Amino acid sequence: MKTYRDLVNEAKQVIPEISVEELQAELARGTAPTVIDVRDPDENREGAIEGAIPISRGFLEFKIPDAFPDPETPLVLYCLSGLRSLLAAKALHDLGYRNVASLAGGVRRWKELRLPVVREEPLTPAQLERYSRHLMLAQVGEGGQRQLLRAKVLLIGAGGLGSPTAVYLAAAGVGTLGVIDGDVVDLSNLQRQILHTTPDVGRLKVESARDTIQTMNPDVTVVPYAERLTVDNIERIIKDYDIIVDGSDNFATRYLVNDAAYLLGKPNVHGAIFQFEGMVTVLAPGRGPCYRCLYPSPPPAGLVPS
Amino acid sequence: MQATETVKLILGKGEPLIGRLLTYDALGMRFREVRLRRDPRCPLCGETPVIHDLSLHAETGAACAVTPGHAENSPHAVPAKAG
Repeated sequence: MKTYRDLVNEAKQVIPEISVEELQAELARGTAPTVIDVRDPDENREGAIEGAIPISRGFLEFKIPDAFPDPETPLVLYCLSGLRSLLAAKALHDLGYRNVASLAGGVRRWKELRLPVVREEPLTPAQLERYSRHLMLAQVGEGGQRQLLRAKVLLIGAGGLGSPTAVYLAAAGVGTLGVIDGDVVDLSNLQRQILHTTPDVGRLKVESARDTIQTMNPDVTVVPYAERLTVDNIERIIKDYDIIVDGSDNFATRYLVNDAAYLLGKPNVHGAIFQFEGMVTVLAPGRGPCYRCLYPSPPPAGLVPS
Repeated sequence: MQATETVKLILGKGEPLIGRLLTYDALGMRFREVRLRRDPRCPLCGETPVIHDLSLHAETGAACAVTPGHAENSPHAVPAKAG
């Protein structure tokens, strides 16, 4: 009669193992395969590798084809010690998945190397209801929604660009939204700055933003900065955020934000609008151009209004 | 669109607009995509960067236009890049 050791050895013949160090390096570079935690749900709740999708081994063959219809999808499976994940990976291999690896040593080895694990708070029943249209998308799911709730996004400007962005990010459940804007709401803003409403005229934009967002979605924490972004405050402000959304209204701020975001390694979702035209791009340090690559110098003063 | 891109970045899903500029003309209801490249002579993120901190922003007006190749060992002027 066979033992589990025989099954593990058979799995090792066809399933490559990846070390914790290799996986961590790939995750840091952004080139990692999709990570799947095949442990039981109660183990997963104790602490998991950030970004890992929990699909317990019991349901793996049933859930995988919907989650990842392409059998070439690069996947890494992990469990506590690296044994269950080998057997699980072999099962996927038998289904036709050709790009599956198993994490050698499992999350136990990950913790031995003092790498961080995230302890997931399960979504509350209200959240399961609120975000149900996200949860049913394969690209989001509960794990994705929790990523959104953990994310910290800084909105530069709560005006024409910042307003709709703030509204949608808050509705989607981005957990922390920093909003920086030194201005006060003016009646002429209300035609497009949908974050603000008639009773807000005369109030600080960041306070109006905070109140609107809190009412829309209490899961979101708004951090208001009622100040102009300057060289003296920018590094202190942006360092705690994951992503910067540039909706600023003048070129000096755009260059300042670009430089600071690049130097601190933060992706910058850059948008600009003028009358009936708009443009958007993502400036990702190390992965694409920065603002200066596109615009080495600003247009002559007066040609494009701030 | 900025919100959509932000969500995609958080989730690590889809193809974010890195290296691509999406332009939108509301009157004609047209979208255009422009490929963007890193400029190897960019003063911030190019091969020989001259900007290493934010000190140039301390001087009003000085920060916006930094000629690429500003350092002594690269005296060449660079023609303005089409936006």
